[in-house]
Amino acid sequence: MTDWITRNVWLVPATPIVAALLILGFGKHARRAATGVAILGQIAALIVSTCAFVPTLHSHEFRAFENFTWFTFGEQSLRIGFVLDPLAAAMMVMITLVGLCIFVFSLGYMADDKNFSRFFAYLSFFSGAMLGVVVANSLLLLFVFWELVGLASYLLIGFWIERPSAAAAAKKAFITTRIGDMGFFLGILWLYHQSGTLLFYDGGHGCLENVALLGASSTFIALLIFCGAAGKSGQFPLHVWLPDAMEGPTPVSALIHAATMVAAGVFLVARVYPIFSAGAVNGVTSSLIVVVWIGVVTGLMAALIAVAQSDIKRILAYSTVSQLGLMMVSLGVGGVAAGIMHLLAHGFFKALLFLGAGSVIHGLHHEQDIRKMGGLRKLMPVTFATYAVGMLALSGVPFFFSGGWTKEEVLHATSHWPSSHVPYFLLLLGVVLTALYMTRQVMYVFFGSSRAGSDHHAHESPSVMTVPLIILALCAIGLSIFLTPAWPWLESYLLGHEAHIDAHLLLQPMILVSLVLVGAGIGLGFWLYRRAGEVDPLQQKVPAVYRFLENKMWIDEIYEHTILALAAFASRVSDWMDRYIWDGLVRVIGGIGQIFGALTKGADEGVINAGVDETTVGARGVGRAMSRLHSGQIQIYLGVIALGMLALFLFYAWLT
Amino acid sequence: MSYLNLLKLGAPEAIVVLIALAVLTIGLTNDRARGLPGVVAAFGILIAIWTTARLPQQASLFGGMLVISPLNSLFKMICLGLAFVTVPLAVSEKSLRNPGEYLAMLLLGTLGLLLLVGSEELLMIFIGLELLGLSLYVMAAFDKTDVRSAEAGLKYYLFGSTASAFTLFGISLVYGMSGTTSLALITLKLGMGPIQPLMAVGIVMTLIGFAFKIAAAPFHLWAPDAYQGAPVPSSAFIASGSKVAAFVVLGKIVLIGFAPAHGNAGWHMMQPGWSPILAALAAFSILLGNFVALAQTNVRRLLAYSAVAHAGYTLLGLVAGGRDGFSATLFYTTIYAITLIGAFGVVGMVKRETGGDDFQNFAGLASRRPLAAGCMAIFMLSLAGLPPLAGFFGKFYLFSAAFRSGGNHGLLWLVVLALFGSFVSLYYYLSVLKVIFVDQPPAAEPGQGRTAAGQFLPLATIVILAAAILILGVLPGTLAAVITKSVP
Repeated sequence: MTDWITRNVWLVPATPIVAALLILGFGKHARRAATGVAILGQIAALIVSTCAFVPTLHSHEFRAFENFTWFTFGEQSLRIGFVLDPLAAAMMVMITLVGLCIFVFSLGYMADDKNFSRFFAYLSFFSGAMLGVVVANSLLLLFVFWELVGLASYLLIGFWIERPSAAAAAKKAFITTRIGDMGFFLGILWLYHQSGTLLFYDGGHGCLENVALLGASSTFIALLIFCGAAGKSGQFPLHVWLPDAMEGPTPVSALIHAATMVAAGVFLVARVYPIFSAGAVNGVTSSLIVVVWIGVVTGLMAALIAVAQSDIKRILAYSTVSQLGLMMVSLGVGGVAAGIMHLLAHGFFKALLFLGAGSVIHGLHHEQDIRKMGGLRKLMPVTFATYAVGMLALSGVPFFFSGGWTKEEVLHATSHWPSSHVPYFLLLLGVVLTALYMTRQVMYVFFGSSRAGSDHHAHESPSVMTVPLIILALCAIGLSIFLTPAWPWLESYLLGHEAHIDAHLLLQPMILVSLVLVGAGIGLGFWLYRRAGEVDPLQQKVPAVYRFLENKMWIDEIYEHTILALAAFASRVSDWMDRYIWDGLVRVIGGIGQIFGALTKGADEGVINAGVDETTVGARGVGRAMSRLHSGQIQIYLGVIALGMLALFLFYAWLT
Repeated sequence: MSYLNLLKLGAPEAIVVLIALAVLTIGLTNDRARGLPGVVAAFGILIAIWTTARLPQQASLFGGMLVISPLNSLFKMICLGLAFVTVPLAVSEKSLRNPGEYLAMLLLGTLGLLLLVGSEELLMIFIGLELLGLSLYVMAAFDKTDVRSAEAGLKYYLFGSTASAFTLFGISLVYGMSGTTSLALITLKLGMGPIQPLMAVGIVMTLIGFAFKIAAAPFHLWAPDAYQGAPVPSSAFIASGSKVAAFVVLGKIVLIGFAPAHGNAGWHMMQPGWSPILAALAAFSILLGNFVALAQTNVRRLLAYSAVAHAGYTLLGLVAGGRDGFSATLFYTTIYAITLIGAFGVVGMVKRETGGDDFQNFAGLASRRPLAAGCMAIFMLSLAGLPPLAGFFGKFYLFSAAFRSGGNHGLLWLVVLALFGSFVSLYYYLSVLKVIFVDQPPAAEPGQGRTAAGQFLPLATIVILAAAILILGVLPGTLAAVITKSVP
């Protein structure tokens, strides 16, 4: 069994992808079959993942890989493969479990959608692609699945294609992450050039096993790979796609922004961590310093913006960006296990929050503005209870919630970073902000009285939606068992150590700091928003700051007026040049050519000039012949040949 | 030298000529006949492929005028294959009023491809270029009811003949300086000492004709008009077969004939030679093609500018040089040709159904013809280089070959530029897909709904091509191994 599963770990991504193809084959009207196949596929993937999880428990530092030659090209053959290790196994189980909850939830949430079966096909495809990223044992194979994740997210975010904003958001997500992938691809080429293989593990010959050979280029490679990670994980300055991606159906937001796509970037850094830490002095390398600072900036900026958002999903989106920043910091300071633990815990409680928000939106008939909600505590009790669990976990309340423990680990790792203590203090500020904006959201949505007429008809969601919420809430709490410092099972599992029980470690002085900060955040939120009306209290007190944050620090606008404007300008200029400018240039050069020709008349050299002369003379004749055609620019086209040739000659002459 | 031997080695070419004449005769007796000439042409091409496969491994006639080698035979078969898939597109194109004549031109153009690919001697290459060019000019201008077609043909002709003049001048200079037109002997001559200035002039001028054929900027100006104005099957053939053959020959000329004049295109290490020239053309093509494509609202024009950009990427392999680089170029150009024929097949269907090929004509294609829309998505995403489609692996080979060569990451600048270009390109390919899948078609006027009859043949062709792109994406080794094995 153990052998079989380690050799066939590819089944995990294959199952949902096959399910997706089957559903597409069924056609539009087979709704029941579509959901059946999708959920069965996900359950099968969960079972296989769990089977794969078991052998990784038995021995420490378990790592099994199965490589094969994909194709040969010239003298070299490109090999790919699949790997099973604690990192992959833990991710697989989390993704399939969270995925399954989301699939079931979608049954209720998408029940009225006319493209119901297509939705499940995309969802399955997405899940399969993400699982492929996790089990790939080759950077190239990982990249293939990585791009498939991008494609699937494009399809899902733009699922409601009749909304122009959804189509725009989908395109933005796809293209912004591709900016990062450009760097990633270059990093892959560089790594391939340097190490001659793209396999991670190959019995001592993999690229992660010989990072010392990379030498100084490891910094460049690591930073290029980080570009890809930053794009997918919504790190500053490539975070802009993530909040817009909320245009997709809410289960999609839960899948993309909690457990899968955004986690891929963090996972990637963890996967190729040896490249980042190659040649580390005291655990610090220049590439890791970049990771830390990008993470800090992202984490703090997104937390600030989240305070002033009014769309229930956008708040969660910025909170995701902020938490991803936190994970990156953790990886950067050397706390790989802490970062991944936070990633796993975050997967559960963020999916819970998104699905809870989905339940609220569903109950309120697609109202998303929190200022128009209120008093839902009594109308939607299950949603409220589970949402509160998610909120407390995200805020990092210690002891009972998984998020509290993992956040503690991250802060702990950051406080020991030898390079600087600034990130640690900034993260503490982030903790306060997180508690503040989550309290604000909960106060607005569930407490007080109804602010607009819309929630008169509010109702609790059907059990097909609430049961997944309850399961995720139980996970968000129950996971704590494996996370306490007294029995750090998950950390030991990821690091390949033996876990020891030591009850004395349960209470650490640093937990007091967190307790105070989280308490401050929640208290502040409670005090500020206890009687909040439709106008945000913060807006009344500091309107300028609020406006700045509400408009997302104008980063989108800055991009629009710089990079995008530049691209549009370049495209217009090139197009215009292609149509008109040659005309002028050709005339000028032709004129010069003629003068030149006249000057050197009789001289026996003159290849260039003769060429230009002949063309311009010929061109004029042709031009007359062509004058009846409606766009008679052929003479210019011909002149361009001479012009291009002249440019090539000059280039050649300049080289010699 | 026995003429029997020539007949044996030149059998594929002879068969293509005979079939062209047969098709022409059928066309003369019945100038509306569509099915019969199509079947004869397709069948004849298949026979030609079969005879090519049975050619001996190595042979050379008339000092390199006709060379049989694994590489030449392979690309003869690929060119014949590209002509083969163009036949159903041509047969179903109703605007071509004399299908027999058209197919005869197609076959004569194919003959040009075969001569071009099968020769390693400059004069014969030039004849191949001209034969191909003349057929293509006629094919571009073939739709006598459409003034745009006439314009496309005339522009293509004028531009092409001017470029040919430069090339011929270049060849004559090379001949004058080296005393030979055989590629193998030119190498020996070039290797004997430093490159003379006049020789350099000859080399650069020879390259221009090929830059024109592959539509590298700034010798690309004919492409948008020809791609847009010519009948759709002609555009498909110009964009595929002609380009593949041009890259094969260009590769052989620079890597075999002008090998000693390689130079260096590395950043800060530039040395005079053809590789910095090609690198400059590649860089300019990538930038210009991608940026101008962003501004297009006609799918065929967009494909033309994207062709300019792709010519730039493909040149990267030649700049990198060596067996790796040449194989990468050949692999990429083959994949690209398959993709473009498919894309033009979809364009042809849309044009027959809606009467145009602007963006708005593609609106609602997904609901009208989901299969064709799905295939178009595969073609566009493959062109954008999205894994696991064939275009991605083509780019991977190309860029990794360029990255490895040049020493000390010399070609990094070109790789970065190409990556940037392919990133920009995603934007306009997605625009096409957005129109197809998202936009609603303008309200159909009564009586405008054209019959869908006669679309089966092109649709089947498109689906097969899309399947090929998918399969070559998942298993790129199949084609890659064959190509690398044949490259000397």
